[in-house]
Amino acid sequence: MIGWRTRKALRKRGVMGINRRNGDYVLRYNPRSQYPLVDDKIRTKELAKRAGIVVPPLYGIIESEHDIRDFADLVEPHQDFVIKPSQGAGGDGILVVGDRFEGYYRTTSGRIINPEEVDFHLSGILSGVYSLGGHRDRALVEYRVRSTPLFDRISFEGVPDLRIIVLRGYPVAAMLRLPTRQSQGKANLHQGAIGVGVDLASGITVGGTWHNHKIDRHPDTGHAVSGLSIPDWNTCLELASRCYDLTGLGYLGVDLVMDAEHGPMMLELNARPGLNIQIANDDGLIRRCELIEQHLEERGDHPLPEEWERVKFCQRSFAVYLD
Amino acid sequence: MHSAKWHARLLALALMLAGLGSIAYQVQVLNVPLSESEKDPVWIIDAQISFDARPRFPIKVRMFVPPMEEGYTTLNESFVSNNYGVHVNREAGNRQVTWSARRAEGRQYLYYRLMMTPRYGEDQPEPVGPQFRSAPKLDGAEELAAKALLKPIREHSADVETFISETIKRVSDLDNDNVKLLLGQDTSERNRVRLVDLLLAYAHIPAEPVHTLRLVESQGQIPELWLRTFNGEEWLYFNPMTGQQGMPDDRVVWWRGQGELLTLEGGRNPEVSFSFHENEMGALEMAQSLNQRNQRSFIDASLYELPLPSQHLYKVVLMIPLGVLLVLLLRSWVGVETLGTFTPVLIALAFRETQLFWGILLFVTITAFGLLLRGYLEHLRLQLLSRLSVVLTFVVVLMALVSLLGYKLGISTGLSVALFPMVILTMVIERLSIVWEERGANHVIKVGLGTLLGAVLCHFLMIQPFLSYFFFTFPGVLLCLAAVMVLMGHYRGYRLTELVRFRDLLNSKGETRP
Repeated sequence: MIGWRTRKALRKRGVMGINRRNGDYVLRYNPRSQYPLVDDKIRTKELAKRAGIVVPPLYGIIESEHDIRDFADLVEPHQDFVIKPSQGAGGDGILVVGDRFEGYYRTTSGRIINPEEVDFHLSGILSGVYSLGGHRDRALVEYRVRSTPLFDRISFEGVPDLRIIVLRGYPVAAMLRLPTRQSQGKANLHQGAIGVGVDLASGITVGGTWHNHKIDRHPDTGHAVSGLSIPDWNTCLELASRCYDLTGLGYLGVDLVMDAEHGPMMLELNARPGLNIQIANDDGLIRRCELIEQHLEERGDHPLPEEWERVKFCQRSFAVYLD
Repeated sequence: MHSAKWHARLLALALMLAGLGSIAYQVQVLNVPLSESEKDPVWIIDAQISFDARPRFPIKVRMFVPPMEEGYTTLNESFVSNNYGVHVNREAGNRQVTWSARRAEGRQYLYYRLMMTPRYGEDQPEPVGPQFRSAPKLDGAEELAAKALLKPIREHSADVETFISETIKRVSDLDNDNVKLLLGQDTSERNRVRLVDLLLAYAHIPAEPVHTLRLVESQGQIPELWLRTFNGEEWLYFNPMTGQQGMPDDRVVWWRGQGELLTLEGGRNPEVSFSFHENEMGALEMAQSLNQRNQRSFIDASLYELPLPSQHLYKVVLMIPLGVLLVLLLRSWVGVETLGTFTPVLIALAFRETQLFWGILLFVTITAFGLLLRGYLEHLRLQLLSRLSVVLTFVVVLMALVSLLGYKLGISTGLSVALFPMVILTMVIERLSIVWEERGANHVIKVGLGTLLGAVLCHFLMIQPFLSYFFFTFPGVLLCLAAVMVLMGHYRGYRLTELVRFRDLLNSKGETRP
């Protein structure tokens, strides 16, 4: 085996590789039939709402050309809003309107666009320009999340989000994803956003990762990424934990946003969450997953405990900063 | 979960054993050569017969030729003569060729050539030997001498084998009076063998003399006399001079019985001279030539029985699983990202037609062009499907232009793109475009290069002639590949690229948290 020593060291740290994730977690815990629930943002949102999970309020769904004509009426009561393709990938096709200006819309990046352009964008979404495989799609218009000033120092434009990996209802690890100049305001690690690990017990950030490297400071603002305390931390974890009961997906990436007014909200779910959260937390996922699996085995056939109990277990097991 | 893992391991083991077993069977039992270049010894035996013809007499020459009963396969046999009729007949376990002519004058030369090989000579019909023979009539003194000789032989022997050895030993003792009497003046080898045979016949022991030649590069070899007996299962050979039992493997039985090698009517001064020459022949070529003459060879019930065009097709098709396995290893073990598993193999197949250099050039330029066009069309905000259609149309136009240009410049060989590579290229561009939509331009470059790397490696692997021969001749190896694939399905270790990706996790203080 090439790199035998490295392999051994990685195994010892409990680092999860792609083969391991796909074979032992995704394939094992995520039934294929449940995927449409997380691939379609409208379905995820409806499901979450019914279960009482906080999501950004939905203003309306655009399903046909006819709906596009009524779009102006739909957004009339709202000063700002977000348009998203329901089955888009990688943040493509998202239009964030932050303000109005004499019948024009102003995006958060400062561009002024006229209503015809918005209509054209909507019809593009419907005809499948942004959806995987070019299928017809729906557009959703929803509440614009306002970033809390808390993360301003370590974030460049855009809205940071919080990724929590949940194994059978137990939060395994958490990571704050912060946009950079390179990621063009998107909180996507592949596109150059940074990830910052969060201590499950305290909600305080530990260290960061950028392009597979460990970092201490945000590449654009230069501020230290660690030591920040995330508000409503236990609510976040319980929210994420409940998404398991919601979807039946045993290995899940839950994306939350922190709204300045409404606190944590669930944004979307991912059935194949990435692995760089390990570098952000400087800890292996296998180590943590195995602890949870062992705990579940010991419980045997007992029904799952309440969220707060599951969260407590993980906070006890994975604490970084001890009180 | 664990039971599934063990189930998969068992399946892999079963597949592996079945594959290896079939290969071992083909090699050990069917004698299939392991590589195309494997050579087999071929013996070329020439017999030159010469004699002086007597004018105005019809000529008839009879000569024994080997019956080819055990251990050898005849590749070719020819009888060369001028103006002679040739006729071969079988008689009492011997084969005899008869040349005949009405008139001839002067010294006559006839040739017999036999090409044979030890391969495929195993399975022969059960030999049947003599079981009993009646005692010959002897007159008074001879009968007494024979009885006197046989008495101690019988006492000193336990079975047929020892009886024969003992007889040979006694007859070799030329000072013995009884032997002297029975041999008379003639103490030649031939007469002594006749005496041994006579004694054995008198004792009702079934045995017969055989005339053998040795397979060794030589000129002018004289047939050597051996004695053999049938023990009900196989022939046992004895050297009538030394009593040594068991004939060396390199001796061929030429004929049996007391007859002369050559009998001549209508001629004088016959001479036969043998020359032995060893040659080599490709094992595969040999099997094919045997097959054409409806002789047994490993070709029976193999892919070599297919018509030639199908054979060519399957020589390529059987390599596909090998390519797929390579891509599988590249993806799950090395961590190279490719477009699906099958696409690199398909591109490798396309390289077969375009040649590698032109193939890579074509792949890179046309893909780059297609993707650039895609990027331009993105500004027009076209729908995915119409955007793809436009891209593919222009890719076809570009290919036509490249072919035309190549033809005008006279580099027709490389650039005469066949239909198959065209279809594959367009498909690759379509899939890369979708990757671009979903994952962005950087990922397209990564996946595109990964696919190209996989295709080039597959190409080199799949054009190896010895592998292609091996896969075509031993299709059981596909089961072994399947076994590896099944095992890879449970590979949970790190990919090589992950060793780099996660290296920062090892540079930390390294403490494992509670």
